Amino acid sequence: MSDILETTLCGIQLKNPVIAASGTFGFGEEYAGLFDVGILGGISSKGLTLNGSYGNKGIRVWETPSGMLNSIGLQNPGVDSFVAHESKIMRSFGCCAIANLGGHSEEDYIDGARRLNDADIDMLELNISCPNVKTGGMAYGMQPEFAADITAKVKAITRFPLIVKLTPNAPDIVAVAKACEQAGADGLSLVNTFLGMAIDIAQRKPVFNNVYAGLSGPAIKPIALRMVHSVAHAVNIPVIGMGGIASANDALEFIMAGATAVQIGAATFSDYRTMGRCIEGLERYCIDNDIKSITELIGIV
Amino acid sequence: MALIIENRPLGEKTFLLTLTGVEAGHAGQFYMLKPGHSSAPFLPRPISMYDAQDGNVKLLIEVFGEGTAMLCACTPGSQIDITGPHGNGFPHAEGDIVLVGGAAGAAPLYYLAKELRAIDPNRRILGFVGFNGKCEPSEFIHDAMREVCDEVHMNYGGFVTRDVDYSLVATYFACGPDPMMRDCHACASKCSATLYVSMDERMACGVGACLCCVCHTKSGPKRSCKDGPVFLSSEVYYE
Repeated sequence: MSDILETTLCGIQLKNPVIAASGTFGFGEEYAGLFDVGILGGISSKGLTLNGSYGNKGIRVWETPSGMLNSIGLQNPGVDSFVAHESKIMRSFGCCAIANLGGHSEEDYIDGARRLNDADIDMLELNISCPNVKTGGMAYGMQPEFAADITAKVKAITRFPLIVKLTPNAPDIVAVAKACEQAGADGLSLVNTFLGMAIDIAQRKPVFNNVYAGLSGPAIKPIALRMVHSVAHAVNIPVIGMGGIASANDALEFIMAGATAVQIGAATFSDYRTMGRCIEGLERYCIDNDIKSITELIGIV
Repeated sequence: MALIIENRPLGEKTFLLTLTGVEAGHAGQFYMLKPGHSSAPFLPRPISMYDAQDGNVKLLIEVFGEGTAMLCACTPGSQIDITGPHGNGFPHAEGDIVLVGGAAGAAPLYYLAKELRAIDPNRRILGFVGFNGKCEPSEFIHDAMREVCDEVHMNYGGFVTRDVDYSLVATYFACGPDPMMRDCHACASKCSATLYVSMDERMACGVGACLCCVCHTKSGPKRSCKDGPVFLSSEVYYE
């Protein structure tokens, strides 16, 4: 692989801009049996919480037209286990290692970020956008002032570049993005899943125990792209774009809209080869169009 | 990619797909599959292995929703996007064996009987299969189970789990719909029988990454796709 796809994100060099999205790739180990995970630009870990969690009960996934609803509920082994074990697995693949940190309270986030300082990772992705936990999670990402407050507090503690992952369910995602930038975020990633719902008509009940769940997949792509475009043009920190990306063409759209890197999630479930094809397709596009560096395309639209 | 070489309807809603170009698994393992070169369904569907013969793999698929309907509509000569075999499969227990299946849930038990018979031709294998619907392939499954079991008991419209004697010196295996599994577990527990169950959870990735298919057990949440789908029933919390 040539250096056409190399990009720099918050001071960290990535061999290409394709990152496995949090919650869709475990810690990399599971997919290592299917393809060479080392080809990726980066991996964002399963969303971690301070003390770990068993996640939600009941049905956790439901297919929708060109997408899926999920309600995992941040099942994870906890920050300490991640520092001792899973972070080392992630590191072993030789790509950018990002720890995704969720929380139920301010103390959770701050303590979690402090303990993650002992992990061998490259970046911290602050998850203030999980729609599937009853306390905390997305609540911190809905309003600019709450988002700014938690961003500033975690920024003061962490030794890593801080990316804040935003929710598309916020009434004004651009306002939240600007607030996070002002509070010291080094980058932003968007979008997390859209709040959705499914009803089991045979049982006449919601499919999910939490009633609402997170929608991802190609169904959300045009909306996610619009949000990435709006946010990228409103802030001066790098943006990681995601939401329904399933091909190199999709990734190029997000990059042209202003994303420095992209994350791919649900499409990996659909086909584990998606990210590999995306990387190849990005390189092919650059070669065919005489582009020396993919970074030339960032935000050209 | 694998190629469909036969798609045999076994009833209105059940089809037997024969695939070539797929690595055979062990009984109880499964594949993630969807029609080749198609964006729908979005997620592959987990289907357990029914049989492996002459380099081909057979899958017995019941139409449950849109995804399985699309798979069952695939014609011979068409390609299937498939990964696997995935999962742990059934353990190779010694001694006599009792199999309890609910309709198409009997599919992985057929191959289990075959595998276990090959290991020990002299063991006794008893099969119990229950059917509720009219369009289920009861005749096909009955004939198949008779090939590999010493005795086959069929139950139409009742509780197949209640036909079983759980006090035998044997290992019990069950696969079927949730209510059947819960009842089988309750009956087996009363006699302290060793029961292994194959959990049928909704999956997305099939490799243990997404945590969609979690089965809650006494040792915490386990991934049905990676840590299962076969679990010791006494370990499982039935929701």
